[in-house]
Amino acid sequence: MSEYLTSRTAVCFLGAALLVYPLVFSGAFYLDIGVTFLLAAISASAWNIVGGYAGQVSVGHSMFFGVGAYTPLVVYTLWGWPPIAGIPLGIALSIGLAIVIGMPTFRLTGHYFSMATIAVAELIRIFFGTWDMVGAAIGLQGPAVARSFWDLTFRSELPYYYIFLGVLAILLATTAALERRRFGFYLRAIKASERAARSLGVPVRQTKMQALVLSAIFTSVAGSLYVIKTGFIDPDSAFGILISVQMVIVAALGGAGTLFGPLVGALILIPLQTATNSAFGGGGTGLTYILYGGIIVVIARFEPGGLFELWQRVAPYLRKRAHAA
Amino acid sequence: MLLEATNVAKVFGAFHAVAGADLAVEQGEIIGLIGPNGAGKSTFFNCLAGETTPTTGRILFDGKDVTYALPEVRARAGIGRTFQVPTAFEDMSVINNVMVGAFLRHPHRNDARDQARRIVELTGLRADQQARSLGTPGRKRLEIARVLATEPRLLLLDESLAGLTPTELRDAIALVRRIHDMGVTIVIVEHIMEVIMTLTKRVLVFNQGRVISSGTPEEVVRDDAVIEAYLGRAHRKRKEESR
Amino acid sequence: MVIVQVIVGGLLLGAIYALFSSGLTLIWGMMNFINFAHGEFVMLGMYVALLTVTWVGGGPAVFVIAAALALFVLGVGIYLSLIRYVIRGPMLAQILSTFGLALLLRYSAFWIFSANFVSLPQTSLGGTLKLGGIFLPVAQLVAGAVAILLTLGLHLLLTRTTVGSKLLAVAEDRAAAMLMGIRPDRMQALAWGLAAGSAGIAGALMATAYPWSPSVGETFGLIAFVVVALGGFGSVLGSLYAGLIIGLIQAMSAFWLGAIYKDIVVYGLFVALLWLRPQGLMGKKG
Repeated sequence: MSEYLTSRTAVCFLGAALLVYPLVFSGAFYLDIGVTFLLAAISASAWNIVGGYAGQVSVGHSMFFGVGAYTPLVVYTLWGWPPIAGIPLGIALSIGLAIVIGMPTFRLTGHYFSMATIAVAELIRIFFGTWDMVGAAIGLQGPAVARSFWDLTFRSELPYYYIFLGVLAILLATTAALERRRFGFYLRAIKASERAARSLGVPVRQTKMQALVLSAIFTSVAGSLYVIKTGFIDPDSAFGILISVQMVIVAALGGAGTLFGPLVGALILIPLQTATNSAFGGGGTGLTYILYGGIIVVIARFEPGGLFELWQRVAPYLRKRAHAA
Repeated sequence: MLLEATNVAKVFGAFHAVAGADLAVEQGEIIGLIGPNGAGKSTFFNCLAGETTPTTGRILFDGKDVTYALPEVRARAGIGRTFQVPTAFEDMSVINNVMVGAFLRHPHRNDARDQARRIVELTGLRADQQARSLGTPGRKRLEIARVLATEPRLLLLDESLAGLTPTELRDAIALVRRIHDMGVTIVIVEHIMEVIMTLTKRVLVFNQGRVISSGTPEEVVRDDAVIEAYLGRAHRKRKEESR
Repeated sequence: MVIVQVIVGGLLLGAIYALFSSGLTLIWGMMNFINFAHGEFVMLGMYVALLTVTWVGGGPAVFVIAAALALFVLGVGIYLSLIRYVIRGPMLAQILSTFGLALLLRYSAFWIFSANFVSLPQTSLGGTLKLGGIFLPVAQLVAGAVAILLTLGLHLLLTRTTVGSKLLAVAEDRAAAMLMGIRPDRMQALAWGLAAGSAGIAGALMATAYPWSPSVGETFGLIAFVVVALGGFGSVLGSLYAGLIIGLIQAMSAFWLGAIYKDIVVYGLFVALLWLRPQGLMGKKG
C-alpha cells in the first residue's frame, strides 16, 4: 500500500514540477529544451502503446509523425486554413496507413511488421521528396505571422509548452486507463506469449491493430504539434529515420511497456542530446547518433526492460542497505 | 456429441504425421490419448486445438465446423487447451495471468478479477505471486487455472501432469477430477499410466499416425496391438508364447 | 537498344543484390531472425575494399578477399557477443539489437569517412566493353558474374556439403541437431560469418563499379528485405532469382519513371508482397 502512495505522490510531484518548470526556468533556452522534451515524451509514449505494451516493434513510426506534420501545412498552403485544421486529416491518414501496414503483417511473425514499418517510412519519405503539391524536397512553410489566434503562431514558446503538456497528460491518462482494462491485459498477454494469448481467446490480430491505430493517432498529433511550433516541414524532418529512432530509444531507455518509461527516457536523453549536439556539432553526421546506436545495443543486450527494469532489480538491494544502515 | 473429429489427417511433405484419425467425445467424458513418441497424438491434439490445420478431415464442436478456426475462435466457442511446456505470462502476477483468461467471458475488470480470484483459490495458487517465481508444478497449475477462467466446455490437456512428484501428481489428478465434476469434458494427452488408468474412462491409442486401439483403459492395456506398439514385436510374441 | 542496356545493367546489379541477400535469408532460415544491420555489412565491405587499396594496394582479388575475411570475422563476432544473447529474449531486444547496431555502424562510418561519395581508384577492371551495340563497364560485368557464381556457390555449399547439411539441420530442428552431435551455437556463428562475409564480398564487388557513401547501407538493407521477401525467407536459390528480378525492376523503374522512383517501386513491391504472398517465390511462411 505504501508503495502505491509513494508512486501517487511521485506522479503528483512530477506533474507539479512540469507545470511550474517554465515559470522557474524562464529563459528561451530552457523553454526550448522543455518543449523539445515534451514533444519527445509525447512521441515516445505514443510509440510505447504498440511497441512497448503490445511488443510490436515499429522502427518506422516517423511515417505517422510525418503525416501529422505535413497535413497542417498542406491545408494552410492549399486552402489558407489555420494549420490546426489539418490535424484531423493527419489523424485520418495515419489511421489508414496503420491499417495498410497492420492488416497483412499482424498475421505473420513480429519481424514482418518491423520490416514493413521501416520500408513504408522510407517509401513515403522518398515519395514526398518528389511530390510537388507538398513542396517536394523543399517542403512547406507555415504562417510567418499569425493571422488570427487559431494560427497558433506564438512569439514565445510558452503557450506551446502548456499545449504540449496538456496533450501529454491526455495521452498518459488514456494509456493509464487502458492499462487497467481488458485491452491493457490483452496487450501484455500478446507481448508475453501470442500463442498462449490466442488459446485464451484473445483476438490477437484485432488487438494489435487497435494498439497500432491508437499509437498512430497520437504520433500523428505529435507531428502536428511539432510543425505548428516549428512552422516548417520537409521530408527529412518529417519522415527521417532519426525521428523513428528517437521515439524508440526514448521509450526503451526509460522502460518500454511502462507508463512513465518514455517520460524518464526523455528526461535523460533530451538534455543529453542537446549537450552532445552543441559540443560536437549536430545533425546526421554527429556523435549523437553513434551514441544512440550504442545505447540501443546495450539496452537490447543487457536490459531490454530499460531503466525501469533495472530499478526493479536494484531497488531491493538498495532498500536492504538503507535498512541495515 | 460435443466434439466430433472425422478422418483427420496431417501431412508434412511426404510424412504422414496423422493418417486419418477419428474421435467422438460426448459431453461429460474424460478421454485419454496415448501412444509412443512420434505416434501422431500431439499433432492430432494440435489439430483439435487449432494450432495446426489438418490436411484433410473435419472437426465439429457442438455441431459447428471448427476445422479451420483460429485458436482464439475456438476458445470463444468453448474449447480450452494447456501447453506441454507451460507458457505463463512471466511479467504478470498469478491473478493477472488468470484474469487474461477471465476477460473472455467477463469483459469488465471487476467481474474478471472476481472470477479469477475464485479460480486461483480453487487451484490453490497465491494470487499475488509473480508468475516468473513459480516452479514447474506452480506453472502447470497456473496453466490450468488460466484456461479454466475462460469457462471451457471442452478442456484439452497436453501432458499437463508430467514432471511432477508423486504428491504433486496426486494433487493434480484431484484437481482434474474436480474440474471434471464441474461439468467440463476433458481430453488428455498423457504418458503417465497412473493418470490414464485413474482418470480416463476411454482411451485412444495412437501409433504411426493412426488410432490402433480404443476402449477402456483396462482393455487397451491388454490389447496386443498396443503392446506391440510400445514394447515391440518380441514382447507380443513372448506374451503369446506364455499363454 | 538502350532498353537492352538498361536490362543488362539491372540484372548485373541484381546479381549483387542476390549475393548479399542470400546471407540475410540464410540467417532468417536458421534462426528466425532479421538482421537490420545487413546493409551496413555491405557498406563496410565497400570501405574495407577502399582501405585495402589505399594501404596495401593490389587488385580486385586482394580487396575482395580482404572484405570477405574482415566481414566474416565481424559477423562471427557480432553473433558471439550480441546475437546469441538476444535471440532467446523478447522481440524488442531482438529487433533493437541489430537496429542499434546498424545505427552504430552507419554513423561511425559517417564520422570516420564523412558523408561524401567515394569510389575506388581505377582498377584492372576499368574500361568498357562493347557487346552487340551495348556498352558494359567491365567492372559491372565481372562483379555481376562473380556475384552469381558465389550465390550459387553458397547454395551448393548448403545443399551439397557436410557443413551445409549441418547448417540446414540446425535450421530445421535445433534440438534434433544437438542430439546428432551438431553444435548449434557453432553453426549459427558460422552462418553469421558466411552471411556477413558474402555481404562484404558483395560490397567489395560493387565498389569496383559504383560510387558509394555510408548512406548506402540503409538502402541496401531495405533492398535485402525485399529480395528475401520475394525469394522466400530461407531460400538462397530464391534470393538469387529474386535479386535478379528486383535489380531488373529497379532498372526499369528508373528508366521509365525516373531515377527518384526506383526505390519507391521496390519498397512498394515489398508491401504488396506482404499483402499477397508473404512466403515469396520459394520460401516457408514466417
